[in-house]
Amino acid sequence: MKKLLWLLACCYAGCCMAQDTPVIIHMKVLQGLQYDVVRFHVKPGARVKLVFTNTDDMNHNLLIVRPGTREQVVNMAQELGAQGPATDYIPAGEQVLWSIPVTEPEQERTLEFTAPRQEGVYPYVCTYPGHGLIMYGAMYVKQHAQLPDLAADVNIPPSRRQSEESLEEDETHHTAHHGHASKALHPYKPVPPYHYRVFIEGASPAAIAVNLPQNLSYCWDAGSCKLRFAWQGGFLDNSDLWKGKGDALAKVTGSIFFTEAPAYPLAFLGAPQAAVIRFKGYRLVNRYPEFHYTVNGAHVYELIKPKEDGKGIVRYFRITGHAKGLVFRTAPQKGVAYTASAGKWEQNNLLLTALQAREFNVTITVL
Amino acid sequence: MKYRVLLSAWLLSAGSIFAQSYKVETIPMPEGLTAEVGAIEFLPDGRLIAGFTRGEIMTYQPATKQWKLFAEGLHDPLGILVVSRSEVLVMQRPELTRLRDTDGDGVADLYETVTDDFGISGNYHEFNYGPVKDKAGNLFIALNASSPGGSMRPEVRGAIRPEGRDGADGQKQMFSAVPYRGWVMKLTPSGKLLPYASGFRSPNGIGFDLAGNLFVTDNQGDWIGTSPLLHVKEGGFYGHPASLVWKKGWSKGSPFALPVALLDSMRTKPAVLFPHGIMANSPSQPLCDITRGKFGPFAGQLLIGEMNQGRIVRVMLEKVDGELQGACVPFLDGQGLRKGNNRLAFAPDGSLYVGQNAHGWLGDLGIQRIVYTGTTPLDVHSMKITRQGFDLTFTLPVDAATARNAANYSMRHYNYNYHKKYGSHQMHLDSVPIKRVMLSPDRKRVSIILNSLQAGYVYELKLANIRTTSGKELQNKLVCYTANRLLPDNTPAVKTPVFAKKDIEEGRLLITKSDCVACHKPNEKLIGPSYADIAKKYKPTEANVNLIAQKIIKGGSGVWGPVPMSPHSNISLADTRKIARYILSL
Repeated sequence: MKKLLWLLACCYAGCCMAQDTPVIIHMKVLQGLQYDVVRFHVKPGARVKLVFTNTDDMNHNLLIVRPGTREQVVNMAQELGAQGPATDYIPAGEQVLWSIPVTEPEQERTLEFTAPRQEGVYPYVCTYPGHGLIMYGAMYVKQHAQLPDLAADVNIPPSRRQSEESLEEDETHHTAHHGHASKALHPYKPVPPYHYRVFIEGASPAAIAVNLPQNLSYCWDAGSCKLRFAWQGGFLDNSDLWKGKGDALAKVTGSIFFTEAPAYPLAFLGAPQAAVIRFKGYRLVNRYPEFHYTVNGAHVYELIKPKEDGKGIVRYFRITGHAKGLVFRTAPQKGVAYTASAGKWEQNNLLLTALQAREFNVTITVL
Repeated sequence: MKYRVLLSAWLLSAGSIFAQSYKVETIPMPEGLTAEVGAIEFLPDGRLIAGFTRGEIMTYQPATKQWKLFAEGLHDPLGILVVSRSEVLVMQRPELTRLRDTDGDGVADLYETVTDDFGISGNYHEFNYGPVKDKAGNLFIALNASSPGGSMRPEVRGAIRPEGRDGADGQKQMFSAVPYRGWVMKLTPSGKLLPYASGFRSPNGIGFDLAGNLFVTDNQGDWIGTSPLLHVKEGGFYGHPASLVWKKGWSKGSPFALPVALLDSMRTKPAVLFPHGIMANSPSQPLCDITRGKFGPFAGQLLIGEMNQGRIVRVMLEKVDGELQGACVPFLDGQGLRKGNNRLAFAPDGSLYVGQNAHGWLGDLGIQRIVYTGTTPLDVHSMKITRQGFDLTFTLPVDAATARNAANYSMRHYNYNYHKKYGSHQMHLDSVPIKRVMLSPDRKRVSIILNSLQAGYVYELKLANIRTTSGKELQNKLVCYTANRLLPDNTPAVKTPVFAKKDIEEGRLLITKSDCVACHKPNEKLIGPSYADIAKKYKPTEANVNLIAQKIIKGGSGVWGPVPMSPHSNISLADTRKIARYILSL
């Protein structure tokens, strides 16, 4: 999968070139100051049409320069100082062969040129202030389309020479991943129970993901003040969330065994239909978060632990500031069973007296 | 070839005989940490506390270089406010959170929600900044607008107002479809979160100066021609329209559909513009130099991080016609400082810690520290607008011949468009001829006189060859003054000296060697009046020169108060005349 991405990243333009028809290179911008096409091949003297679309949210230009002069040109652009904006950060000098001026986000510009007769590696680079040191690629001008191994190509940015790292947090895959040891996620090894506040599918943007011992995890939603879902297996893959700008969601790496229903699960007898909820935070009790929230003025404390045999979770509740009995609604679903430490079941609802509601627990068992 | 010449010129200047004024040191980071720094502050016991993208809050003891975990699992923490050695407030994506170590084991166990009374759509660009605290105990946070490059999640927190999103023309804009994206919010001591000011796009920097003025930086983009420093006041609108949909009583529909001229008339213009590609592309936190000189000669001024370059920018503000405006200048450029300068904090020893971040844009990772060596740099200390141009005050007396040479100053002016397009070119770019340059007798102040001065422009000044008499070079040679306003007409014009420069200079030397200094100072009243006060009372005429010269020789009392001035018959009339010319030249 990742390997396919490498292939897409390097465009072997030469192979689709026909006589007198220009080689067309479509160049876009990736997050993290990178051209999406990091290298391409053309034959000496070939006509080239480079279509540059700025798909980033910053301005960029593109200069094709003589072999070996990339860093020099970047420095020359830097030296332009106050003259930079007026010159599109393109320094005057014989090193610069062709250039596309500063291109704004969503703008497209086309450059047509005839590739040099002289074989060589012609760098292309963005000389917008600060970008030049990492935003570049290589145009290979040579008869044969064979390019060096991507991993060993010194003409492209180091970050593009290898596959993307996975940041999967999964005990079973921790040591070896894609053939090499995965990088540490933190300056310490997280030991369950631990948690992340994350963007995750199936919850509001104010979600809290908790990894419990015994390969159990759950997502508690501070936005809707309730447990949303629980899963078994791995914990989270935060690769995309922690990479670049983080325009992504954390991925659950196990299998979800419980999903809460849309209705709010706690209802005090006689309280209005729509529960008024407010999230107050949490306290770590032996590293287990105990969530604190209010439901129609009553203070609810909820702490979730693995079921002793590892086959499910136990939700421990303490409630203060209420005078009425409580209905605890459970979401009927395949594969789980609910049991409670107190109260009376009436179909899917657990009925608790005001006294019972002060302290009780509900176990969700994986069948 | 040209490159070689430039490089060697740079090496020569770097290997200058003068001691460096600032040194950059790199702080060792713990192994395994992806050190994208979202926040740094100092605890009362002198430890650094820092927040990182992957949710770690860690402390660092500078004496032992030891790092320790304080809290974990936070969502992109981008600001910390220290409460005590065991309690901090942290601004993360979903909320402002109080982290407290309640059992004294050095690790936070209470994660209490201080406020989550604002919307989040799950868009990746909804960063939250702050908090900073005012003298009354109110906290201020800034909420980033949402990016058109990202989406809204199917489930959001807060009400949705679609009219806070792009206009009908299909041009994508930063948006505010859930409450208060693009606002600065005020949290009262009683815990109420109130909308405070609107019009922000990507306000990755919030801070107070010593006088209690609130400043926010924003980032170039749609509606922001070049990155600004904004002086934020309650109720103000600072330019990006999206947030207006959350203004109380808003009834004008899509703010993107309003005429630009109307939006322009509503907005408060930036106190300082950072010319894009010249001064800063992505300014971050404004931090006031509170070190009273421990960090060098710029006490009270604002320092601002720059993400795109190895640079810290300095801002010199003044009140003109009732509003703050001023100039920006590089403070520290290169010298080993990396890119991604996102967060700043002064250590108790007066050194400046700089937290670096990339976050998918441009930048390095880690923390560096800038230490003042005690050697005063030659730099522009302040830049003030005058009736006919600008006054520059340097940190040290400058060499008179080079400072008086008008050819060593070149000036341009330009401004930026206010429009929905991403960024703006420099508009109305023109060179500004310099009519005359004057140097003050103490050789620290240069007055630049222009033929004309126009409001609404950035005046960009480049200085060349300015140095001290011993040859120390000017550190930063580019200063940009944002002239929103000109001085009101009743401000006195710069006085043209009517005496020979040689006489004034000799008079200044004579006075410093005499016993005059026991009773007089140039600008403050001591036992006798200040020279400046004398100059105000007497016009700079030869008749008054004679009058003052005689008074110096004969002494006297009654004009400035009952304390008599002792006679100075030891000084020749020729010399007292020179002294008088110096005094009346002020």
